[in-house]
Amino acid sequence: MPFRHVYSGIFLLESVIAGVVFGLVLAAMAAVMLVSWRKRRRGAPAARREHLRLLEAAFGLALAVMAAFLVVVSFSANGQDFPRQDPKPTMRVQVTAFQWCWRFRYVGQPVTVTGSCADGDYPVLVLPAGRPVEIDLTSVDVVHAFWVPYLDYKMDAFPGHVDRFIVTLPRDGRWIGRCAQLCGLYHYEMDFYLQVVPQAQFGRWLHARAGTAAVSGR
Amino acid sequence: MTAEPVVTAAPGQEETDGLVVWLQTTDHKRIGILTLGAAFVLFLFDGMLGLTMRAQLARPGQHILSAQQYNQVFTIHGTGMIGLAITPFALGLGVYLIPLQVGAPRIAAPRVTLLGYWCYVLGAVTLVWAFLTPGGAAAGWWGYTPLSSSIYSPGPGMSLWVAGVFLAASGMILQGATVLWTILRMRAPGVTMLRIPVFAWTMVVTCLMTLASFPSLLTAMGVITAARIDPGLLASNAWNLAYENLFWFYGHPVVYVMFFPFVGCVAEVLAVFSGRRFFNYTGTAFSLLAFAALSMAVWGHHLFISGQQVNDYFSLTSILLTIPAGMEYFGLLGTIAGGRLRYPTAMLFALAFIPQFLIGGLTGIMLGTPSVDYAVNNSYFVVAHFHYTLFAGSVFGFFAGVYFWWPKATGFLLDERAGRLHFVLMVIGANVTYLPMFGLGIKGMPRWVVTYPAGAGFSALSLISSIGAGVIGLAMMAFLYNIYISARQKKPATADPWGGHSLEWLTSSPPPRFNYDAQFPIPRIRSFTPALDLRERQRERQRVTPSQRAGRPVTDTVTTDTRAYRDEG
Repeated sequence: MPFRHVYSGIFLLESVIAGVVFGLVLAAMAAVMLVSWRKRRRGAPAARREHLRLLEAAFGLALAVMAAFLVVVSFSANGQDFPRQDPKPTMRVQVTAFQWCWRFRYVGQPVTVTGSCADGDYPVLVLPAGRPVEIDLTSVDVVHAFWVPYLDYKMDAFPGHVDRFIVTLPRDGRWIGRCAQLCGLYHYEMDFYLQVVPQAQFGRWLHARAGTAAVSGR
Repeated sequence: MTAEPVVTAAPGQEETDGLVVWLQTTDHKRIGILTLGAAFVLFLFDGMLGLTMRAQLARPGQHILSAQQYNQVFTIHGTGMIGLAITPFALGLGVYLIPLQVGAPRIAAPRVTLLGYWCYVLGAVTLVWAFLTPGGAAAGWWGYTPLSSSIYSPGPGMSLWVAGVFLAASGMILQGATVLWTILRMRAPGVTMLRIPVFAWTMVVTCLMTLASFPSLLTAMGVITAARIDPGLLASNAWNLAYENLFWFYGHPVVYVMFFPFVGCVAEVLAVFSGRRFFNYTGTAFSLLAFAALSMAVWGHHLFISGQQVNDYFSLTSILLTIPAGMEYFGLLGTIAGGRLRYPTAMLFALAFIPQFLIGGLTGIMLGTPSVDYAVNNSYFVVAHFHYTLFAGSVFGFFAGVYFWWPKATGFLLDERAGRLHFVLMVIGANVTYLPMFGLGIKGMPRWVVTYPAGAGFSALSLISSIGAGVIGLAMMAFLYNIYISARQKKPATADPWGGHSLEWLTSSPPPRFNYDAQFPIPRIRSFTPALDLRERQRERQRVTPSQRAGRPVTDTVTTDTRAYRDEG
């Protein structure tokens, strides 16, 4: 899963650039006010230059270089997020959003996990660590979005359309997931958990879960 | 001398006062004041809805409003602020100021402008009506399908919302069209396109974007209408995707419609109170045009997370906006650099605009990068970003304009002490409210949540943000108090209380019915700062031949009138 890694790098880079620009503008304003104060004390008039062509051109050029740099950074990050050759997924999970909860169907296994998202009944998306998993994301009613803040990634779930992406989760853990598209009354409760477990444990979980598949789901 | 205080309206206006007369006026100044006044009332209403939301979110797990009510409140807050408050502020300022600034006796097609006002007011009434129906409209200001269809949003509220948005947007199209027409075709002799004030240039691009993008919103409302008649349409992904694209084809340019006129206000205020002409005028004018053109090609960055958009193209166009935006900042900073700054309230708002909008602008560039957008889109990071642009930016620019042009429109000055209080509360309120939201977004707090559990880690920052919102409420009260005491004091304004640069400062305050007359004629126009040119010529004449001081009497308003409000420089 490259998203988290790519994001943290680019977010830091862009935050630093933004911070420097912001600091420079603040410093420029402070300097301007100081100069103006001294000017007034000396009784000097305001400057009259309306243009400094060379400076204007240089500034425009600097902006263009900056923009070009940011475009290259953005393109390369997007390229890393969506590599031309995705790793071949070893399993698929159909993630279906509905008003107002989630359904996770493990393709090829008699296992479906769901819940009501009310009163703490949040479904858990269990995935194995270290294996590329394809998520097939769709919705049965309105537009929702699948968001795991820990992964720094979200994707809309449209009715009548399947968005596919591949995640490889490097380590075990349990994180909250949320709906990130206004979907109506209980949007704010439409949470789930992403739980990543070692591969062997995942196999045992899948097996145990298959026995109860008939009663799970709605 | 003609620059004596002119408190009463010009002859011929007093006897025609009265609500009915106002509501059928063809005077662009009155239509402008009506538009701005209605927008300000709705601004306060939508602001109170915002405060209600902040009250709910101040502590975890609160249910002051039910989930349905909360969704209605943010839907009307967003739709109202954008469609009924800030956009009409933008175009209303244009309706009032543009004929004055280009030396026209009236606005082009005044009845169309008035019709635009009426469509807007009807739209506003319809939207408030939608809010008051049981169930209301609760699909957010985007009104995404299929949520807004009759299956998922049954009842009249959503239908009224569609009608209200349609009407208000139609009204803005009409006003934008007549303002643009006035600038392009009704300029006084000598006022070439490169001699209109910077504010007028910002209105040119604002109207161009309005005309180019608002029809797309009307079409989008057509899609919802069709979907409310036949919800089966939306089973096809194409319709939902079409709606999102149509909506954002309006929804992004409208962001700049709600931005540029206020940049124009800031530019005028900075130049006047720096005592020098706006710096890099031509560069700014062309960068505005470039910005407007590019703004039509960036809407797709709202759809990065749809998974059905061309990421690289829209990232490219969005990031390229930094070039014209940077050039505009260059003009603003270049204007104050080397100036002799004075600090009346208008100037304070204009100066605060520069760094505060910058926060919104810089985070906007970050959101133009898909890899960042995937992480923080639809979180409070975005809420912080656009409130920095719209509130800490545009609304500050708007108040700079209000304090600046209020004496022109009313004939009396706003109180400076109350103005300062208003300003300080605004700065504190805006930053305390919106800065914590960046943190909430990074921590993973989604938009549109009715409440959040105590253990989610959002409690402290949310509380700080809510306290800030309360301070914004106090700031608005300070402004209302200012209007109240200023109207009681009626400290008369001269024709030019600030030492203005553009044409409108050469006519009376308030201006006569047809803006310029025998008593207040339009001088020969040689640049985009005719009022300043005139003062400088006068000074020159006085210096060269003091005995020949005859001719048109113009005082050096910089030295005489600054006494009126206390110059701190």
